[in-house]
Amino acid sequence: MHRRPPLATVCLYAVLGVGACVMLAPLAWMLLTSLKTYPEILRHPPAWLPADPQWGNYHRVLAGFAYYRFFLNSVFVAVMVIAGTVLTCCPAAYAFAYYDVRHKELIFGALLSTLMLPAQVTVIPLFKAFAAIHWVNTYLPLIVPAWLGGNVFGIFLLRQFFRTIPRSFIEAARLDGASEWAILWRLVVPMSRPAVLTVVVFTFLWSWNDLFNPLVYLQNEELVTLPVGLLYFIARAEQLTGGSIGQVPWHLVMTLATVMVAPVIVLFAVVQRRFVEGVAATGVKG
Amino acid sequence: MNLRRAESRWFWCFAGPALVGFGAFNLWPMLYSLGLSFCRYEVVAPPQFIGWQNYAYLFGHDPSFWPSVRVTLVFTAVQVPLALGAALALALLLHQPVRGRGFWRAVYFLPSILPQAVFAVVFSFIFQADGGLLNQGLALAGIQGAAWTTSPTWALPVLILVSLWGFGYPMVIFLGGLQNVPRELYEAAHMDGAGAWARFRHITLPLISPVIFFNGVMGVIGALKVFDLAYAFSLAQGQMTPGGPARATLFYGLNLYQQAFGYFHMGLASALAWLLFAFILLLTVINFRLSRRWVHYGD
Amino acid sequence: MLSRLRELLSWCLVLLLAGLGFWWAGRSREPRSEPGRTEITWYMIITPLRGLYEEQVAAFERAHPGIKVRICWVPGGEFNVKLKTLAAAHQLPDLFFTGDVWLSYLLPFTRDLTPYVQRDAAEIGLEDYFPAIRRAMQLEGRYYILPEYLNLSLLYYNRRMLAAAGQPEPTADWTWADLVRAGQALTQPGRGGRPDTWGCARVEGWWGEWLIYVRQAGGQVFTPDGRRCLLDAPAAVAGLRFYLEKSSRYRISAPAGFEPLNGFVNQRVAMVLGGHTNYWLNYNQMPALDWDVQLLPAGPAGRSGGELAIAGYSISRTSRHPEETWQLVKYLTRPEAIAAVVRHGHLSVRRSVADAVLQAPGPRANPRNLAAAYRQFEFGEPIPHHANYIELMFQVVQPEVDRMLLGELTPEEAGRRAAAAVNAFLATFDPRAG
Repeated sequence: MHRRPPLATVCLYAVLGVGACVMLAPLAWMLLTSLKTYPEILRHPPAWLPADPQWGNYHRVLAGFAYYRFFLNSVFVAVMVIAGTVLTCCPAAYAFAYYDVRHKELIFGALLSTLMLPAQVTVIPLFKAFAAIHWVNTYLPLIVPAWLGGNVFGIFLLRQFFRTIPRSFIEAARLDGASEWAILWRLVVPMSRPAVLTVVVFTFLWSWNDLFNPLVYLQNEELVTLPVGLLYFIARAEQLTGGSIGQVPWHLVMTLATVMVAPVIVLFAVVQRRFVEGVAATGVKG
Repeated sequence: MNLRRAESRWFWCFAGPALVGFGAFNLWPMLYSLGLSFCRYEVVAPPQFIGWQNYAYLFGHDPSFWPSVRVTLVFTAVQVPLALGAALALALLLHQPVRGRGFWRAVYFLPSILPQAVFAVVFSFIFQADGGLLNQGLALAGIQGAAWTTSPTWALPVLILVSLWGFGYPMVIFLGGLQNVPRELYEAAHMDGAGAWARFRHITLPLISPVIFFNGVMGVIGALKVFDLAYAFSLAQGQMTPGGPARATLFYGLNLYQQAFGYFHMGLASALAWLLFAFILLLTVINFRLSRRWVHYGD
Repeated sequence: MLSRLRELLSWCLVLLLAGLGFWWAGRSREPRSEPGRTEITWYMIITPLRGLYEEQVAAFERAHPGIKVRICWVPGGEFNVKLKTLAAAHQLPDLFFTGDVWLSYLLPFTRDLTPYVQRDAAEIGLEDYFPAIRRAMQLEGRYYILPEYLNLSLLYYNRRMLAAAGQPEPTADWTWADLVRAGQALTQPGRGGRPDTWGCARVEGWWGEWLIYVRQAGGQVFTPDGRRCLLDAPAAVAGLRFYLEKSSRYRISAPAGFEPLNGFVNQRVAMVLGGHTNYWLNYNQMPALDWDVQLLPAGPAGRSGGELAIAGYSISRTSRHPEETWQLVKYLTRPEAIAAVVRHGHLSVRRSVADAVLQAPGPRANPRNLAAAYRQFEFGEPIPHHANYIELMFQVVQPEVDRMLLGELTPEEAGRRAAAAVNAFLATFDPRAG
């Protein structure tokens, strides 16, 4: 393109750099807090840097509660939810993108409208139903909805992407005698990798950070996922700090938040390019 | 005809599981909650039909309904344009030829994937009236800072500011939109002597209008449903009940949560939920209608 | 052909793995019932004393071989959500931990323990509970809860700060005037025109502090039946005014919103009214903090009015094993069990345990003036036990108090507006009223 004057270049990087610092400040504060002592987090005025970094906080957190157990539970739930989402949302998105059925748009609109309903009110009827079929205290209430296309946003996102694939590709494959199932999994899905990846990441984030559903449906402590484990930990960490209501041991909470967020950041670093491409594709055609 | 029937068979095969799930996990509980919105249902006793009284109570008597509507509308009206403006500005910056674009993109997007609780805690340290980072900085400049998080005047602006950290999604979607603008158009405009602003105004804006529209619709829906941030923020400040002071941060979603799980007025909460649902639906339909005037789809 | 086969195989693998996943996800985690043993389920808030409870349960099971106890630990913040959700699905546990503040909410599914209490009055030592605790245990003369913990409002003070300001320590005959006088001596100006240390904390956002003044001025928030708000009465308004004037007139507390974060532990606030006995452990974690307690200063209408709240055990109405559960409740609240809790720095609901602690020789951790804490029992008042209390206080009353503190309303206006709003709330159709 056109050459930029050097001053503009300097300004551009300065703005980007300052903005990046501002954006990352919360993360930095989280890390710094996680290395402080209890008196340090209460100190006034707040100390910027921990006087003596308490790496022991990490040891305490990882040893003090069943992090690995909760971690594996979270991974199990996330994997099952992602698998179900991909296996059911892709066909659904394909159906809505390529087939012509009466009232299709109406059905799709109804599906999308669920994005607008606040979740709180569906909890009680769902809980009653799951309790009636003895699914409470198992992972099924967390997983089965995903295997029935529960991620409506995912269907929407995939449909948007699928629609950008020229129909002629699909017609050609049909003429070659490929079955619809094969077209979906061997042509459309491979061509839409960024979108599928985006759905996977969104689903992962949603499942990984979900607090409410595991809290309501799981009862045995050895079953719970990380965010609920975090709550259990905060409640017990008061033992470590001697605290109780109102006096949250923020240094340990931040330690735990760090170990909870770390896998997410690693995952994001690995997939960020394709993920961003996938997100970018959602809004292209309204 | 045959083809059509085959197509419809495949449609039901492919979309079937999702539609079953929709019926079982969304439609049925939705309709159930619609029914509940006409009932007195305090969870411990079976629901009892009371007609429109929940709605009448909300509009006529409930002391927290209208304040929560006001807070939410103000938040939406201010936050959505600000977030979209910031996202668009950054997307335009990153659309320039910059070194390490992937890195910058990742940095600006990263906060969007972090749990809101982290932000809530960090920002309550920053905005703490007595000894918070901001007021310490202001004190150095000889300015006496305000009680940012505990004054009804400032609490909402502070929350709006904090929510701006999550502009990663719209920014990335804008970037995608900008990438789809054919470069030749700019070249041609440049030849014709159009300045940067004119190029932005007459080429970029119309061509990314679908993206602006999409972000706008999603932003409004998100802003009207905002809950996590406000809830985490009040917890981080040790507020006994979310929404204070003097209902200044009582978001609609927060009020709904309180009614549903704080006080277990499930009937009333269902009425609140359906009012919000109807409002969002109406707004989205209006948005789509209005969009015909200014959104240009390429095809 | 080969690729077809491979594809088929990979789909089979996916199905197999999914099947395995579902098997694992749906495997029943309910413990197998043991023949000849009754299983009771107990929902307990996670506390620092968790290990202690697990030991107690093991000992109880040894003493009662026919009973098996299953403890479900729930994080405190979510406890009530969890309980009500379970109630909606008719899945309530036999035994649950609760406080008298929440009891009126949980009442529809709480068992009336009066017959058990009367039958076993001697065994549980009903007389051993402090009279104030016995009053808090009852709801219209019936027992629904057997207490284990309690909280009460006290005057907390920093001994070092008082000494530095040349102030004598608070005595049991203090009044509001003494509080103001000492508070003014303790409020030290700092940089930037705003005091650096404050004489007295202010508890904002809930009734923790202002309710003390309202009651000590002779007022009440509600009539005993909870059907009318009395905040507009002159006495109640006088209490609200003192709460406001602590900063606006006497300048012993920070203005609205400027309360120092963790002021008492950071030694920037010298005294706290109300507080929470659970903070004691925190205070003792701060090596530089030398603190003690005293009776609340008396208001114009007397000393009574601090909060006295209890927490303990209730049995659900739907429990199929109330008798066995009652055995466990008795076990958890017997003097030895209370003594174990008290050893971890809590106050005792039982007189015998409290006496033993007070008479124990040797130096004591702070608070040294533990006797004052037990004397304060006489002046504590339970939170009103009517179902709308918490909701009305948070949703309707507190916003008006907030506005008063911010200078938008005078105490008269705040009291009048709060009373009017509550009374309108209670008089109009209320979909929430039972």
